[in-house]
Amino acid sequence: MRIVLIGFGNLGRGLSRAFIQKAGFLRETHGLIPRVVAAVDEFGAAVDEKGLNLVGLLNAAENKGTVTAYEGGKRGKTALDIIENVEADVIYELTPTNIKTGEPGLTHIKRAMLAGKHVITSNKGPLVVAFRELDSLAKKCGVEFRYSASVGGAVPVIGLARKLLAGNEIREIRGVLNGTTNYILTRMSTEGAPFEIVLREAQELGIAEKAPTLDIRGIDTACKITILANSLLGMNAKLGDVRVTGINRISPEAIRLAKEAGQTIKLIGIARRGLLEVGPKLVPLGHPLAVSGALNAVTFELDLAREISITGFGAGPKETSSSLLGDLIDIHRTLGG
Amino acid sequence: MLVRIVMELEDVPGQLLKALEPISRFGGNIQSIMHQRERKTPLGRVPVMLVFEAADRVRLNRILAALRARGVRVTQLGEREGAVRATALLVGHIIHTDIRDTIDRLNALKGVMVSDLSLAMGDLGKESTARMTITADDEKRANLAISSLQRIADRKKLLMITSLEAG
Repeated sequence: MRIVLIGFGNLGRGLSRAFIQKAGFLRETHGLIPRVVAAVDEFGAAVDEKGLNLVGLLNAAENKGTVTAYEGGKRGKTALDIIENVEADVIYELTPTNIKTGEPGLTHIKRAMLAGKHVITSNKGPLVVAFRELDSLAKKCGVEFRYSASVGGAVPVIGLARKLLAGNEIREIRGVLNGTTNYILTRMSTEGAPFEIVLREAQELGIAEKAPTLDIRGIDTACKITILANSLLGMNAKLGDVRVTGINRISPEAIRLAKEAGQTIKLIGIARRGLLEVGPKLVPLGHPLAVSGALNAVTFELDLAREISITGFGAGPKETSSSLLGDLIDIHRTLGG
Repeated sequence: MLVRIVMELEDVPGQLLKALEPISRFGGNIQSIMHQRERKTPLGRVPVMLVFEAADRVRLNRILAALRARGVRVTQLGEREGAVRATALLVGHIIHTDIRDTIDRLNALKGVMVSDLSLAMGDLGKESTARMTITADDEKRANLAISSLQRIADRKKLLMITSLEAG
C-alpha cells in the first residue's frame, strides 16, 4: 500500500517506527507492505514513489527538524501538492488539532477523498467541525475513512463499538478520555497536593502541555465526546452541544471528602441521545472508570451486553501507533487484502 | 431500613446520650441528628430528629422499647424502607452563600432530607468543599432533589459534583 504522511510530529514518527519494527509481521500476517511514498511537514516534503527509507526519514526529522533534510527533500512543497500529485492509496492526516476551524486537516482530508484516496486521521479538529460532511464525502467518493486514534489513543473505543459490539444498541458511552487531567486528579488524590502544584509537575514531566487550557477545562474531552456521539450514536453533534465543566476548581479537600465516602473524582465525558456532558463526577473506588495516572477508560452501556468497559493508554506516539496501524490493516482487509 | 424518629428530650445535659445508647446497642447506624431548638415544647423539651438505619423490624422494636423504658418520648416515627441516598460535592463559597438556606430548601421538598453534611474549609478567601448526602423516599424524589440542588448551586455559583451513577 502506498502511503502519504501529512504531518511528521510525534505521531508520524511513532507510526514510522512501528512500520519499521513490524514490517515482517505485517507482510507475513496480513499480507500488507506499507510503502511510505511521501512525508510532509510545515517546511516541505520528502517524496519517493518507490518508497522512502524510513530510518533515513526519521534521522532527517530528528536531527535536522524537518523531513526536507531527507535526500532529495523539497522545501516549500505543500500537503495539497502532495495529496493531488503523488500516487498513493492512503493518506494519514496527522497535523495538529484546531478545534475552531478544523484546518489545515479539514482541507487535507477533503482533497484526499476527492482525489480518491483513503484517509486515516488522529486529528480531532476536522472530526469535531465537520464529521457528517466528511463521513458522507467518503461514501460519495467511495473511499475508506478511519479515525480510531482520535479518541482514546491506544484504546480501541471506536473499533470495539463498531465491530465487536455491532449487534448492540449503544445507550450510553461514559469515559475518562483525557490522560492529562486524570494524571492531575490522581496526583491530587495520592499526594493531597493542590491543583496548581500538580499541574506544574505534570508540565515539567511533559504530561501536560504548556498551554493546558483545552485539557483542564474539559474541552479536549468534549471534542472526543462529540466524535463518539457522531460516529457511534449517529448524532449530528457539534462541540457547542456539549455541556462542559473543567477540573480547575477541584481541591485536594474535595477529593478527600469524596474518598471518605468511598468515591474518587474523575473528569468524565458522557454521551447519550439527549445528553452530551463533560464534568467532574464522583466515581466509586474500584469502578472500571476509577483508573489512575494517565490511563483512559471507557464504559459502554448496551442493550444486550449490558456493560462493557475497556482501559488503556490514551496517549503517546508508540501507543497511538497501535490505533493508526490498526486502521491501515482494517482498510487493507476491507479492500480484500 | 431507614428510620426517622422525632423525640422530645429535656433540655439538660446528658439527655441525648441517654437516647442514643439503645440505638447503638441494638446495632442501629445513626445517620443524622438534628436539634430543633426553635420548636421547644411548652414544657421546655427540645424535639430532636434522628435518622438511623436499623437491621430489621425486630431490632427497631427493641430500640423503641428501650427508649420508652428510659423515659424518652418518641413523638414521630417514620419508616423509610427503600429510601434512596444520593451524594454530591459542592465546591465554592459555601458558607458565604448560606449553607443553611441550601439545606432548608432541600428539606422543604416532600420526601427529601439532607441526612449528612461534611465540610472542608478552604484557606482564607479560598473555596470550601461540602459533601452532602440526601436521603429521599424514592428514586424520583432523589433525582428531583439533585436537580433542585443543581439549580441552587448554579445560582450560588457553586460547582456541584454528582455521582456518576446519578444519571
